[in-house]
Amino acid sequence: MLLLKLIQSLIKTLHSEGTPGQLAAGLALGAILGLTPLWNLHNAVVLALVIVLNVSFPAAMVGWALFVPVGFLLDPAFDWIGRTLLLETPALRPLWTALYNAPVVPFTSFNNTIVLGSLVFATVLWLPLFFASRWGVARYRATVAERVKRSALYRTVVASKLYNLYRLFRSEP
Amino acid sequence: MHVALFRWKAVVPLLLLGVAGIGFWLVFADRIARRTAQSVGTTLVGAEVEIERVHLDLPHGRVEIHGLTVASPFEALQNLLQADVLVADIDPVPLLEKKVVIDRLTATGLRFGTPRNTDGRTGGQADGVMGQMQRWAAQLEVPSLQLATGKISIDRLDPARLNTPRAAAALAARADSARQAWDLQLGGLNAAAIVDSARRMVERLRGANATDVKLLGDARRALGQLKQAQDHATALERSVTSGLAALQAGAAGLSDARQRDYAIARRLLKLPGLDAPDIGAALFGSVAVDRFQRALYWVELGRRYMPPGLLPRATPGPKRARRAGATVRFPRAHEEPAFLLRTAELSLQLGAVGAALPLRTYAASVSGVTSDPALYGRPATASATAPGFRLGALLDHVHPTPRDTAAASLAGVALPALPLPSLPIRLEPGVGTVALSVSVQGDQVRARWTVQSDRVRWTRDSGSAASRSPMDDLVWRVVSGIAALDVSANLTGSLARPQLAVSSNLDRALAERLRAVAGAELALADARVRAQVDSLVDRHVAPVVAQVTALGAGDVTRRLGGQRAQLDDARKALEQRLRELTRLPGVRLP
Repeated sequence: MLLLKLIQSLIKTLHSEGTPGQLAAGLALGAILGLTPLWNLHNAVVLALVIVLNVSFPAAMVGWALFVPVGFLLDPAFDWIGRTLLLETPALRPLWTALYNAPVVPFTSFNNTIVLGSLVFATVLWLPLFFASRWGVARYRATVAERVKRSALYRTVVASKLYNLYRLFRSEP
Repeated sequence: MHVALFRWKAVVPLLLLGVAGIGFWLVFADRIARRTAQSVGTTLVGAEVEIERVHLDLPHGRVEIHGLTVASPFEALQNLLQADVLVADIDPVPLLEKKVVIDRLTATGLRFGTPRNTDGRTGGQADGVMGQMQRWAAQLEVPSLQLATGKISIDRLDPARLNTPRAAAALAARADSARQAWDLQLGGLNAAAIVDSARRMVERLRGANATDVKLLGDARRALGQLKQAQDHATALERSVTSGLAALQAGAAGLSDARQRDYAIARRLLKLPGLDAPDIGAALFGSVAVDRFQRALYWVELGRRYMPPGLLPRATPGPKRARRAGATVRFPRAHEEPAFLLRTAELSLQLGAVGAALPLRTYAASVSGVTSDPALYGRPATASATAPGFRLGALLDHVHPTPRDTAAASLAGVALPALPLPSLPIRLEPGVGTVALSVSVQGDQVRARWTVQSDRVRWTRDSGSAASRSPMDDLVWRVVSGIAALDVSANLTGSLARPQLAVSSNLDRALAERLRAVAGAELALADARVRAQVDSLVDRHVAPVVAQVTALGAGDVTRRLGGQRAQLDDARKALEQRLRELTRLPGVRLP
């Protein structure tokens, strides 16, 4: 069921009125939500950006859903990145010490190896993911989008109740 | 196509979301704080921490905790403590840095050792401190009072550990080697051929002319060969004699090896310690180790969560569906510690649960409990004094080498029953005095636990009446007549290699009686050990001894003697014949 909803959401997003850039930005921001542990202050900021910036909200939700399992799989790598940055890079220690003793910043849990590792990974991945997905959406719309639109599957997806909900949050041109 | 950067119409929903978030916090903050406090407390203590209700009043810097229950990390169905109400005055500014600074904490209705319905131990959640302390306690060898069962058991004897079979095998190899060497040398003498040659020469000399110089020269050479063969035989005889002596010494040495094997086997006997200190350790060692283990558990927890120095420290991250990872703290000089309890005033009640004496209420104070002692700059202290009760503790982690000291004594309170391992007897000390002091400096530990009572009660375990041994009866007769108890246990050395010494007024009385009774049992056990060794050793020793005896008795020496006799006879005959020839007038042997 979850997978079906994901496919449904993906198809709707790809065929929305949003530009490829809006979709790609939403997807990349959603990837941050998925890759990093959810209940942290930085994700509140990311969610606020998804809402306030004129990016595709559904794309962000798809990105989130797609990258949650990736986050679980890459946790060992995130742990390694976090440990390396927090404990094994003396040059960064003054920065961490300053952040740790600054107001509010500790609530981001930046000093957790998984949080920092995944956030650094997601940040580094953001631009490549943005450009790759923007190119992918553009290619999709230029090549197979019309055929998909004429398919019975697409009509079924568009006819569902969820589509109406989606329309409330679609990107503004 | 121009695309606007901001979705302005979403600002209002975002603000509404923020307001909803604040509303959620206001409604659920107390519950979130309660769950967080329970989770953190459980991780810290290594046992379930349960809280009935938490009330946060952050504008006034006040937190109330109602109905705190901390399960014992040691006992399955016992609480470490319960508190009715804890009120903390919190400095709100450090909260912005995710730091908790409690200026003053008051706790009322603290009770210790209350019963609970479920096992509250979590073990592994305390970062393995409990496991670490259990491994530590396991290295303290507490002797068991084996005679209490009436038997002395023997561990299985490993033949590979015995000396005699190895010595016997080596001796057999030496005997074989010597025999082969002697056989070779006997063959090399070639005595039969030399003797035959000499005899033929004697025959030739019978009809010889004294002027036959060539024949006389041949005879002379034959005589020389005989003498040389005799010299070789003499040397071989000396070699055989000394070799046989060495082999016989080796055979005699097997007896010494057997004695050593008896000694090895005797070490497998689970003999009771009949010295007074061993008796004390057997009776009260386990209880003492348990008390020391508990004290050191708290010391170790203190060192783990209140480490010295200002270096970054990694601790396990929060529990979640994702990996926990490690959370690293970065303390900085002149900043507030991540946690600080400046002072705490505690009102506590003490007394044995279920005892006839009522609970007494005492007052105690704690100060300077912090996650970063180097930042706070002062050691953590705890103290409590009341009639019959004294407690003092100082955890100094300000300097690189931590120093932890604590001492507590309780007098005039009903003491809990003491189990006596391997004895079907329970000791109820009654009202008495118990004291515990612990000092750990770096890795050096000094600890002392004492129990004194002059109205002890002894009760036999009725469940084991059928399996009582005469030794049980003996121990019972000795201890049941003793009304006073004075136990003292000392722990010294390093944490890695601690040494335990336990003594009590029961030790001498029990030791004397047990020593008298143990003689016959020991002799029997010794005989069993010797028989076990003999059965393993005899099948190796007997053939070797026979082999050495056979070598000494005959074959080689007999054959060597026979050859020597033949050589002697041949030499005599040849010399005789030559003398007869040289007696002829005018003839001189060349």
